[in-house]
Amino acid sequence: MANLLWLQGGACSGNTMSFLNAEEPSACDLVTDFGINILWHPSLGMELGDNLQKLLKSCISGETPLDIFVFEGTVVQAPDGTGEWNRFAGRAMKDWVTELCDAAQYVVAIGDCATYGGIPATAPNPSESTGMQFLKREHGGFLGTDFASKAGLPVINIPGCPCHPDWVTQILVAVASGRGGEIGLDEFQRPKTFFSSFTQTGCTRNMHFAYKVSATEFGQRKGCLFYDLGCRGPMTHSPCNRILWNRQSSKTRAGMPCLGCTEPEFPFFDLEPGTLFKTQTVMGVPKDLPTGVDKTGYVKLTGAAKAAAPAWAEEDIFVV
Amino acid sequence: MGDTNIRTEIQELLEGGLETEIYPRADTSEDVNKIVNRLQKSGASLIEKLAIAGFTLNTIEHGGIEQPCETCMYYLVHRKYCELPELDVPVEPEWSCRLWRI
Ligand code: SF4
Ligand code: SF4
Ligand code: SF4
Repeated sequence: MANLLWLQGGACSGNTMSFLNAEEPSACDLVTDFGINILWHPSLGMELGDNLQKLLKSCISGETPLDIFVFEGTVVQAPDGTGEWNRFAGRAMKDWVTELCDAAQYVVAIGDCATYGGIPATAPNPSESTGMQFLKREHGGFLGTDFASKAGLPVINIPGCPCHPDWVTQILVAVASGRGGEIGLDEFQRPKTFFSSFTQTGCTRNMHFAYKVSATEFGQRKGCLFYDLGCRGPMTHSPCNRILWNRQSSKTRAGMPCLGCTEPEFPFFDLEPGTLFKTQTVMGVPKDLPTGVDKTGYVKLTGAAKAAAPAWAEEDIFVV
Repeated sequence: MGDTNIRTEIQELLEGGLETEIYPRADTSEDVNKIVNRLQKSGASLIEKLAIAGFTLNTIEHGGIEQPCETCMYYLVHRKYCELPELDVPVEPEWSCRLWRI
């Protein structure tokens, strides 16, 4: 039996909504098949007021062993570092976070806000929001660079806006079944099993990427979304085209560009108008090239690939 | 009118001295947006499209990179066609315009 506590800071509840739709395994499977005891969750917890405070304090004191502490949303520090803008159960949420992280065997940050700060931490960041152990790319965040939970691991980051429900439940199962130490993490503390490949890995538009055939509108059944519509699939680490959404599809399969929501810089471009769904260029060449490709190589490759493109690549071929 | 006829018409217009805004090229995304916005407002007359986009019958080199339709992302190789929704015209591979992107 592993005790799990889930709290929400500066959040939209999107990751909770996502989590409740998990399928492999489902949120119910966590309880019935994998021995996870959900002590409290914002949408599932029964305790209110004094009873909730009592529960939180008993986790902090160790009376109730806290195996997994899940945090969704940013740590809000406004105004002036007090965190009073986000009060919960009688005090600033950030103070609960500090003490619960010290008490937990494992700390798991869910979604881009909890991992890297996400949209709330974008300039001018009025809520003084930060991620648990990162602020965008900068290591440290709320808990500091040296933080390690009782099991000796830093915060396990599962980013996404929201993250895919099965990324969450599969990591929770690994932790609850004593395999937490085997979760390899990358430089941004994301589980490698999910975040070593790119969104592009498994995208049905890869042939169009290769032959440089561009989609020019959302939802088109042919063409790659990189060249015109700002798809960040070639430089975003996520398994969105390996572990499909609703087990059916993905953004890029449906003709919607990847926004790069699993990367620390998300949302890119400071949300300026006209930047989100448009490939940003400098002298006609994309500003952000696929990971590992340089400008000269890109221009040469593109010219050659375009010239070699077969006629079918320009037809409507049902990639959705 | 078929693609061949439109191509011929474009060629005759440009050879006949139609002035187009070849420079400044669209170096930044903001420059691109400005030109595309003008095209959207222009109401799609062929002459306005050619002028605003800065069409030429020869390839323009800019910043050390050649910018022919042939390598442009909006170009359909087999149909010899510019698929940029605001232009939407048949072209030749060696033609060029300032909305070129790779
Ligand atoms: S649509 Fe996006 S993810 Fe798919 S092939 Fe194109 S760039 Fe890659
Ligand atoms: S496709 Fe991109 S934006 Fe969409 S969920 Fe995956 S990583 Fe995030
Ligand atoms: S946008 Fe590209 S394909 Fe279209 S006319 Fe300009 S250079 Fe040619």
